[in-house]
Amino acid sequence: MSKLLEIKDLHASIGGKEILKGVSLVVNEGEVHAIMGPNGAGKSTLSAVLTGNPAYEVTSGEVWLKGENLLEMAPEVRARAGVFLSFQYPVEIPGVSMTNFMRTAINAKREYEGKEPLSAKEFLALMREKKKLLELPDKLNNRSVNEGFSGGEKKKNEIFQMAMLEPCLAILDETDSGLDIDALRIVAEGVNRLKTPENASIVITHYQRLLDYIVPDFVHVLADGRIVKTGDKSLALELEEKGYEGL
Amino acid sequence: MKVSKGDIFERVFVNEAVDLCIEQEAGSKVKIHVVNAPFSITVNQLGEGCQTEIYGLEHLHGEDNVTAETHVTHAVGGGTSIQLIKFVLDDNSRGRFIGDLKIAQDAQQTEAHQTNRNLLLSETAEMRTQPQLEIYADDVKATHGASTGQLDESALFYMQQRGIDKEKARQLLVNAFMKDVLMTISDETLREQLLNAIDGVVE
Repeated sequence: MSKLLEIKDLHASIGGKEILKGVSLVVNEGEVHAIMGPNGAGKSTLSAVLTGNPAYEVTSGEVWLKGENLLEMAPEVRARAGVFLSFQYPVEIPGVSMTNFMRTAINAKREYEGKEPLSAKEFLALMREKKKLLELPDKLNNRSVNEGFSGGEKKKNEIFQMAMLEPCLAILDETDSGLDIDALRIVAEGVNRLKTPENASIVITHYQRLLDYIVPDFVHVLADGRIVKTGDKSLALELEEKGYEGL
Repeated sequence: MKVSKGDIFERVFVNEAVDLCIEQEAGSKVKIHVVNAPFSITVNQLGEGCQTEIYGLEHLHGEDNVTAETHVTHAVGGGTSIQLIKFVLDDNSRGRFIGDLKIAQDAQQTEAHQTNRNLLLSETAEMRTQPQLEIYADDVKATHGASTGQLDESALFYMQQRGIDKEKARQLLVNAFMKDVLMTISDETLREQLLNAIDGVVE
């Protein structure tokens, strides 16, 4: 199994306050890693830093994606290189249609890979195919990005975009929050079907519930900006039972 | 100029400065779009049941300095007026909107809406907006709103996270902001032409 992502002693802060205090993690191709932890532990900061959110500052440490220095890449280049974030709070973009948004994104990635852009016809066929996976309605195409979507639709729309872009590393940030059990099942099935031996996911979650559906190879506990414990999926169950205090 | 009883005056001005003073007779309709040009439009609704629509879209660059002015008076009742004025200001540009809306005491059951939205794309651009409402009738429906803001940083990052570079993401957001003004143009060919002109930058 080859190494996909390597995080070495990562420190990061926001507004001068240090949130990540030395995170190290290796993710190999084909693996699913869950990151759990109490509120304020730095879970969302980790996803923000990996995707290059300008609100956060990396103060020290290294991150390598397939041997390339991830921290030196602009956010859009990280995305084209295959890092995908399913946002905890997907952003509404009034006036920008899903079709226009997605086509711009796909063709940016194809250009980066040295491929020809998709024609309108090819693109719409791909949209149709991938939407089925998430049981999303057709009317979505003409709607503005996330505007007026229910909480469940927004999360499905994130995984739909993931299906379209086929990332090598998907980071799911609290994808289960705000989902009822049916939407959770659809979202999780979508994620599971997108799994290949070459890609990997990092599943950030507060609760064990999602991990009943997306079974992790490793569970890490993040507390106060550091990974304090690593185990297999049984660790998640243990946490559910004893709480983070019980560690 | 005068728009006679029941007549329709509808015009779209693109890159052409506009200075108009219009008197509307009963049941007449005025619909004006101004795109990328300074304008001063005065409309007096002198007859009952008139409709007035004024749309302005100004995309300013460099040292542009553009003033958009509307003076709408409802002298008698039962009329409607809609105003939607948007500025996008880049570089060192200056924009100014002056919007007077007057509803006379006799103009009962008037419906009047005035909206001014502005988007600042640079720290050195400047927008001044002076809406002024005078309402003397009591049975009316009148709204007005003016706001000036910047591009939504979280939307920019969201698009970058999907692989869209920052400049293209900005263009998509700016176009989205401008689009609804053009969507109200009745002439389909012209509407599509202008929409394509702003969309062209993202293709």
